Amino acid sequence: MRITQGTFSFLPDLTDTEVSAQIDYALAQGWAIGVEYTDDPHPRNCYWEMWGNPMFDLRDAAGAMTEVHACRKAHPHTYIRVNAFDATRGFETTRLSFIVNRPATEPGFLLKRHEVGGRQIQYTIESYAAQAP
Amino acid sequence: MLGATTKPKLGLSSKNYGRVVYEALKGGLDFVKDDENINSQPFMHWRDRFLYCMEAVNKASAATGEVKGHYLNVTAATMEDMYERADFAKQLGSCIVMIDLVIGYTAIQSMAKWARRNDMILHLHRAGHGTYTRQKAHGVSFRVIAKWMRMAGVDHIHAGTVVGKLEGDPNVIKGIYSICRDSFTKQNLEHGVFFDQDWAGLRKLMPVASGGIHAGQMHQLITYLGEDVVLQFGGGTIGHPDGIQAGATANRVALEVMIKARNEGRDIWNEGPQILAEAAKWCSPLRAALDTWKDVTFNYQSTDTADFVPTPTMAEA
Repeated sequence: MRITQGTFSFLPDLTDTEVSAQIDYALAQGWAIGVEYTDDPHPRNCYWEMWGNPMFDLRDAAGAMTEVHACRKAHPHTYIRVNAFDATRGFETTRLSFIVNRPATEPGFLLKRHEVGGRQIQYTIESYAAQAP
Repeated sequence: MLGATTKPKLGLSSKNYGRVVYEALKGGLDFVKDDENINSQPFMHWRDRFLYCMEAVNKASAATGEVKGHYLNVTAATMEDMYERADFAKQLGSCIVMIDLVIGYTAIQSMAKWARRNDMILHLHRAGHGTYTRQKAHGVSFRVIAKWMRMAGVDHIHAGTVVGKLEGDPNVIKGIYSICRDSFTKQNLEHGVFFDQDWAGLRKLMPVASGGIHAGQMHQLITYLGEDVVLQFGGGTIGHPDGIQAGATANRVALEVMIKARNEGRDIWNEGPQILAEAAKWCSPLRAALDTWKDVTFNYQSTDTADFVPTPTMAEA
């Protein structure tokens, strides 16, 4: 399966030039770039591991691309995403987030159904990746 | 964000209705929605619908790794009935419920409080507004309703589109969207905003655009409405010749290529059709969508017009 979190997940994987263009756009909006990685992309796993600190003072996309490359080299078999954070009052949130690296095979998720009273079912989603030690 | 209203809205059994929800979510939408007149009917009891829709939502979430949602309409005859339905939605793990504007302001505020207390998003369908927002003689502008609803604490509101069958005058729509999304709205007579409005820390209201829109209009929608909006393609998803999943995928791909192109600095207003055509080369669902709806548009004079522009009066008989 192919997880489709974030923007651009339905497009062919972005090339480095395309990633760099998106980072340029984010920087032009005054947003701060952060690079994060994880082997467990559960839809509710909002805290991926940070690849260094968010780059609040960075003004050049090349600097962010260096970090993306370094993270890919260190964690080639994980999901890596680029986040752009907007500190503007009233937003104070991520405005753009997209995946820039995926494992060769994406294990996906198990949907567990726990049957309770009546016809009700309590659902749990488990990452297959998190089942391995 | 992308959504769709389940179609056909009347007449499907709960089980088939849930199928539409699953297909659309798996195909790439974030949300699917009950329509305003989906409450509880002989062919589809509300509890039955809630059960099947939550199966669809969770299954689609596991299939895509994304958080998905279906607006379960809890509109009912009394507050007690609405609380009962909303509590059931919560019990089933839904992240969102919806209400219709016709339940009234007091009920809307009660539901907003309920939604905060129960960690749920509250979607508002503006059913009934047309009876007084399009009255030039004694009505209330929808911009004012949007402001009241933001203050009442709802999270999503249907705020009109600039293209499609429910199209509005672009300036009027811009005014409504400002009222929903700004932290500070400046006076802008052309948009119908008569004075500066400081929203202090008041929560923003996510506008929803729906009604006769399709993938081929993506560049126009993004240009006019921006990206902090839920674009709901109902017929434009479910009417796709290759099925509902393909319809959803076409819309998601159209949205993503357009945002990507805009961020890359391309002039989407003029190059939009070309950008979509390029993507349609590798995305067959998008190609089929563009072929189906082509340049379908509903070009008629908008009934939502700015108040300060002189409006034509009826000719003397």
